[in-house]
Amino acid sequence: MLLNQFLLLGAVLFCIGVYGVLARKNGVLVLMSIELILNSVNINLVAFGMMGGDAAAITGQVFALFVITVAAAEVGVGLAIVLLIYRNRTTVDLDEVDLMKG
Amino acid sequence: MIAQNIAFGILAASSVLAAIRMVTTKNVVHAALYLVVVLGSVAANYILLAAEFVAVVQLLVYIGAIVVLFLFGVMLTRAKLGHEGELDNDQRGLAAVTALLILGILGYVLVDYFGDDKLPQLNRTHEQLNATRGTGAVGNAIFSTYLIPFEVVSVLLLAALVGAIVLARRD
Amino acid sequence: MTAALLFAQVEKVATPKLDWAATAPLLILCGAALLLLLISSLTTSRPARGTYAVITVLASAFAIGTAGVLWARVTDAERGAFTTAAGALTVDGFSVFFIVVISLGIALSALLADDYLRRENLDGPELYVLMLLSGAGGIVMAMANDLIVVFLGLETLSIALYVMAGFNRRRAESRESAMKYFVLGAFSSAFLLYGIAFIYGATGSTNLGDIAGFLNANTLEHTGLLLGGFALLLVGFGFKASAVPFHVWTPDVYQGAPTPVTAFMASASKAAAFAALLRVFVSTFAEYRLDWQPLIWGIAVLTLVVGSVLAIVQTDVKRMMAYSSISHAGFILVGVQAATAQGVSAALFYVLSYTFMIVGTFGVATLVSGKGDEHHGLEAYRGLSRRRPGLALTFTVFLLAQAGVPLTSGFLAKFYVIGAAVDAHSYALALIAMLSSVVSAFLYLRIVVAMYMTDEEGAEPGPRVRVPLGAGVALGLAVAFTVVVGILPQQVVHWADRAIPVVLASGR
Repeated sequence: MLLNQFLLLGAVLFCIGVYGVLARKNGVLVLMSIELILNSVNINLVAFGMMGGDAAAITGQVFALFVITVAAAEVGVGLAIVLLIYRNRTTVDLDEVDLMKG
Repeated sequence: MIAQNIAFGILAASSVLAAIRMVTTKNVVHAALYLVVVLGSVAANYILLAAEFVAVVQLLVYIGAIVVLFLFGVMLTRAKLGHEGELDNDQRGLAAVTALLILGILGYVLVDYFGDDKLPQLNRTHEQLNATRGTGAVGNAIFSTYLIPFEVVSVLLLAALVGAIVLARRD
Repeated sequence: MTAALLFAQVEKVATPKLDWAATAPLLILCGAALLLLLISSLTTSRPARGTYAVITVLASAFAIGTAGVLWARVTDAERGAFTTAAGALTVDGFSVFFIVVISLGIALSALLADDYLRRENLDGPELYVLMLLSGAGGIVMAMANDLIVVFLGLETLSIALYVMAGFNRRRAESRESAMKYFVLGAFSSAFLLYGIAFIYGATGSTNLGDIAGFLNANTLEHTGLLLGGFALLLVGFGFKASAVPFHVWTPDVYQGAPTPVTAFMASASKAAAFAALLRVFVSTFAEYRLDWQPLIWGIAVLTLVVGSVLAIVQTDVKRMMAYSSISHAGFILVGVQAATAQGVSAALFYVLSYTFMIVGTFGVATLVSGKGDEHHGLEAYRGLSRRRPGLALTFTVFLLAQAGVPLTSGFLAKFYVIGAAVDAHSYALALIAMLSSVVSAFLYLRIVVAMYMTDEEGAEPGPRVRVPLGAGVALGLAVAFTVVVGILPQQVVHWADRAIPVVLASGR
């Protein structure tokens, strides 16, 4: 197996996630796209880890575990914010959440 | 070797297709289910990369917890399932161009840098692998080399816990 | 089976040696956060007014005290800087400097928050808890000797801040700012993470010392991956520091967030971003200076120009200060771009002075806004000199300091960064910084004029302004620092000079 096949898969998923964040306006869907980006980074981390020795492999895996944890925390807080907006406006449309301009 | 490459091909195709459907589908619940497919494929990729603990955590935390959280989010913010109003904003074209541009740059950089470098072959027994880079070694590393990051993660989770309660509780 | 037998079977994990004194500031801040949660959950009656704020301020003061002890240790010629916990944290003058800056940010913002929370009917320990945890995250970023730790520190800082931005749940602006900050923040930290992965792929390590060692020892044939990593890291750090073009969130979030939280964002969070930027780029990537300096140069120019020009067209004072904080970030970047010891020292002096200036500025905005956190327009400041002469004078000091008028710390801060740029032969950048300083002076004068000049008879008086004790103390400290350091800067300059970040190999 080539290293690049994993890295390029990661890059493709990263870009799909970027597209999702930019093109979606539903708050929950934007959150999902961010998760996709974090996942693509994790593939990179674990794959890069395989290239080095044992210490590098462990660094990659441990880092990926931390990223998964951070992603979980981020989703928790993110959904709390989405719910907060929804309760007051009955919308999760990010384009409509735009009082402040200038 | 060939078996692994075929497996990778299937996984890569399914994860990319599911990811594309996830960011284009008109149904929020379907998007969450496509996300499950992506996450599952990524977990299988970790197994190909000999990172079985990460794969299991991916299944447990992502599919077990995060996707369920998403479905709760969908449920709490929408009364009816199925087709709803517009989910995309009007910048789809711009977003696609940006994403393709980034992909082009990333692809060029990666191909230029790594070319066709092969992943090293690990001819070790399961016990050897566990002691050097498997679950046992990862566990040891978390509590030795990565003790401080591990503790920082616990602080982060505390902050997220307090924060989510602050935001989500009713007055 | 007895317990002894059970334990005997467990293989002992070789936990790393931890220097407790070095981690004391972090432990104090996190411990205080837990203490606040405990107090609020164990006591049935509401504790005395201001208990939470006092505990927060005391914890920050203790953290600064332990930092003082550490300072004596790391600046001692024989002992010097060291790493602890298996090379995860560096303890050097730089870390200690930022422990002090961020703790000051926590303490001053907590003093502002005390009355604010009561005024808005939000009293409780949560904001202080989040502030302490967020500050601890920022300190972790400043001390980090590993990109994993940088990332986790940044996330701790950010996640707490997303919630703090939306803390005033009843105000639509506050909720909106939380949403915007969260979406853009999570997006930018994903970029940062991808950048870290690239650096890891290119150098084979996440440890800053090992990365620096690798870059010094090896000449890379293809630098694409490394440069891609630099660019992605700059997106992440630039976002937190609100540098253009990653600044789009700043005006909305600064305007919408509760004003004491804005003060915290502009002081502690920005300081942490620059801490990470300085340690990672200036120290770790020193070998590839010529590759990243142009990037920072471009970002600095954009930040200076956009910040000062767009500030002028605003009518909301909080929004004006948001744009002015963007232009201040540009000035600090001028020091970073120099990538010399002098530049770093100038940037550190700037960060410390700016912390006091901006907390003072948003402190006055907190008081003037009145109940509901609503009066942020320029008209709320009309004739403030007649209603509240002391407060108007205080605000004038902060505004003049931000404008860079001599005899204030703001003037020296600008003077040092521009001097560092000139010495590093970045003449064009120095010139642009000076011009943008002139442009933004107009903005600050506009507010001063509103406070002093336009108080004709018959004009509608603005809302009544009350100065509570906590905020008064915070403002007093900020004014004292701004003026005293503006006149006698030697000691602070001396500290900043000795706080240059060092990068030590992990030795593992």
